[in-house]
Amino acid sequence: MNKKVLTLLTAGLVVVAIAACSENLEGGRSCPLLCPEQAVTLLDTTIDAVVTDTTVPGLPPIGSEGFLMLASHGDTLETRAIIRFDTLPQSYNKTSLDSTIVHIDSAILVIPIVKPDSTKRPKAPLTIEVYNVDTTEADTVTSVLATLFRPDRFLGSKTFAPESLLDTLRLPISTDSVLTRVLAGTRLRVGFRVRSSLGIDLRIGTTHVGLPVTLNIVASKDTAARPAIVAPLSNTPKDVPFLSSTLSDYTIVLKGGTSTPTTILGVGGVPSRRVFLRFDIPSHLVDSTTIVRASLLLTQTPNRRLSLHDSVFIYPLAILATPVVTDVSSLMQFAGSCAICNLDSLSLAPGDSGLRSFEIVGLVRTWRSQPTTVSPRTLALRSGTEGQLPAEIDFFSTKAPLAVRPRLRITYVTKISSGLP
Amino acid sequence: MMMMMTTTRSARLERTVRGWIVGGVLFTAVPVAMSAQANLSSQGFGYPPGQFSARAQGTGGAIAELDPLSPVNPATLTLLGTRTLFFQMEPEFRTVTTSAGTERTTTARYPVVFGAIPFGSQLVFSLGSSTLLDRTSSTTFLTTQHLSATDSVAMTTKFHVDGAMNDVRLAVAWTPATWLRVGVGAHAIAGHNLISVTQSFADSARFAAFSEARVLSFDGGAVSAGVELVSKNVLAAFSARRGGSMHLSVEDTSLTTANVPDRFGASIAFVGIANSTISVRTSHDNWSALGTLGEPGLKGVDAWDSSVGAEIAGPKFQDRIIFLRGGFRTRTLPFQAAGSDVKENSLTGGFGTTLAQGRVIADLAVIHANRSAAIGASEQAWTISLGISVRP
Repeated sequence: MNKKVLTLLTAGLVVVAIAACSENLEGGRSCPLLCPEQAVTLLDTTIDAVVTDTTVPGLPPIGSEGFLMLASHGDTLETRAIIRFDTLPQSYNKTSLDSTIVHIDSAILVIPIVKPDSTKRPKAPLTIEVYNVDTTEADTVTSVLATLFRPDRFLGSKTFAPESLLDTLRLPISTDSVLTRVLAGTRLRVGFRVRSSLGIDLRIGTTHVGLPVTLNIVASKDTAARPAIVAPLSNTPKDVPFLSSTLSDYTIVLKGGTSTPTTILGVGGVPSRRVFLRFDIPSHLVDSTTIVRASLLLTQTPNRRLSLHDSVFIYPLAILATPVVTDVSSLMQFAGSCAICNLDSLSLAPGDSGLRSFEIVGLVRTWRSQPTTVSPRTLALRSGTEGQLPAEIDFFSTKAPLAVRPRLRITYVTKISSGLP
Repeated sequence: MMMMMTTTRSARLERTVRGWIVGGVLFTAVPVAMSAQANLSSQGFGYPPGQFSARAQGTGGAIAELDPLSPVNPATLTLLGTRTLFFQMEPEFRTVTTSAGTERTTTARYPVVFGAIPFGSQLVFSLGSSTLLDRTSSTTFLTTQHLSATDSVAMTTKFHVDGAMNDVRLAVAWTPATWLRVGVGAHAIAGHNLISVTQSFADSARFAAFSEARVLSFDGGAVSAGVELVSKNVLAAFSARRGGSMHLSVEDTSLTTANVPDRFGASIAFVGIANSTISVRTSHDNWSALGTLGEPGLKGVDAWDSSVGAEIAGPKFQDRIIFLRGGFRTRTLPFQAAGSDVKENSLTGGFGTTLAQGRVIADLAVIHANRSAAIGASEQAWTISLGISVRP
């Protein structure tokens, strides 16, 4: 019996000893009694580090909007949305067989929209009118397209109650007009106009985000016939696919385009714009310290033009281009997400004002030990609804009075413990 | 005591051609020296496991000067009549109690490994490594730093130290007479401490965490010598280590210099009962010699380490004798905690036997240590010491 007890005891102790190979070293509750002097020193400095700042209008380029801005605010703002169906089907499918279209029972534009949240839902019914905007003239020029929204080119319209603005709108258009083009093998290009007794902003899906407006053609009353669904496609400009593909759907601004004065940095707005910033940070901060916080401090000034209280997200973006690219507009095309930068956005309303802090520590850290010839100290600001909503957020630039100019606050650590006890 | 001093310094530089201006500097100054170990035992450069084998641990260390598996007295190596490999593991389960509460940790240690080979009947060579000071620990604590009158941030700091200062010994022992054994050893003090500091913030949206690591390397040397006197009923042994210079460096840069601590110790044992040993031991370590190896203010404590213990032949188990051991040990640990000496008292017990027809010797010891200092903190530890020696 004693032998068995001894064997079991030995085995138990050996098991405990081997199990203890998995360490649990975590301590600290006895601090500061036993580990009294261990905090890291944080230093904080605010510098006028912005050496170049400018507003860059026209971004995103035409056709690159995530959603089309269909807006009507009287004399303040008027936009149109253009959808191109440059290839129309000439047959439809019925019981797995293709039949030639000789008649159209219905032609419906299916329009995906961003559902307005309860606070931004229109207060009055709205009417969307559709026009034939096909032309042989310069087909992206606003002045040309604007003249095509006239009664003899009217294709259809529909009025929607505010509560009916969910995720998709269905708008019938003239079947004769569509049939004529189907039979002739020509293209259909439509323009949207919105009307309401009150100001209205509608965001329409695009091919860019995989939510295009589609044309559903029902060519037979037979329920076995499947509708032909036509997606936007642009065949012009010819032989330049990277340009023509973006022009499948786009927005034009008829009224309300603004510019930004040099004392202001504008983000969003109409036409949409971004902000470019270049920094000069002392190398002893970037290279010889550990930066734990970097805040771009911008003073917002109210923009009372439109959507005063509708918040939009403003994103700081890394510009992923070397100094080889010198043109600011081109540089802004390289503004993109930086996975390791962990840049955070701010939600701001155009009508508000005050000091705003963009946290960019992740980006600033990527500049460590990198010369400016390799990693330029640049940053872009972009609206999350650029090209989609008219909201514009304005900040004072470096040409504004000293007290409200952009600054950079850096919190850093110069010395971490030597490790010596 | 946490010292937090907030100072505001504003400076403005003239706008340069590039156009930046230093607008202001606010800083919070907090010392950055690191006494990261949140316990009593591994302050300073760490905890000394004792350089004892599991067998010696079972007697509280009382037979360490007589034990060939403990790399203390090189003269005892002559007891190893054949080639021997020895390995020891020694996990410690520690409980630290302060007014802030109690926390438990587990530390895995492998304090002794060595091999020995005899040449002839009178000469034995040995090469081994043992842990002189183990600093492995991890400490996490919360603080708040005030960056300005309106700006502060809560921080979590984690200091992790991994590594030890090791004693690599090359020793030779000789038996000039049946009543006398002598030995000498050359020691290289080596090893490293991997220090990592991780700083994270409660406000992770504005502040980014960071971590930094560095490796502190030790190199130094020492020599040791020992004698063992043998009579029918009494064994007496004495050994001493003389420390040479020692350096602490980071990469190729030497940061500090000190001396390897001197040590001397003696055991006397009664062996008049068959297969049994009753022994007392005392030794003195000159730990203060390490003081200059750390930051100014680090204080090593010259300390005595005394123990009494016995190993007796117990019951037989399948024709194998089970050796039962017990002991008591008292010592002062090498480094102060918050300016106060740390005392350790241990009660030990254990047993050992042979396996595999005598080719394997297994020893197991259990140690319960109480550590205390006059600062309102106490520590208890259970340590299991398991040693395996193999004679291939």
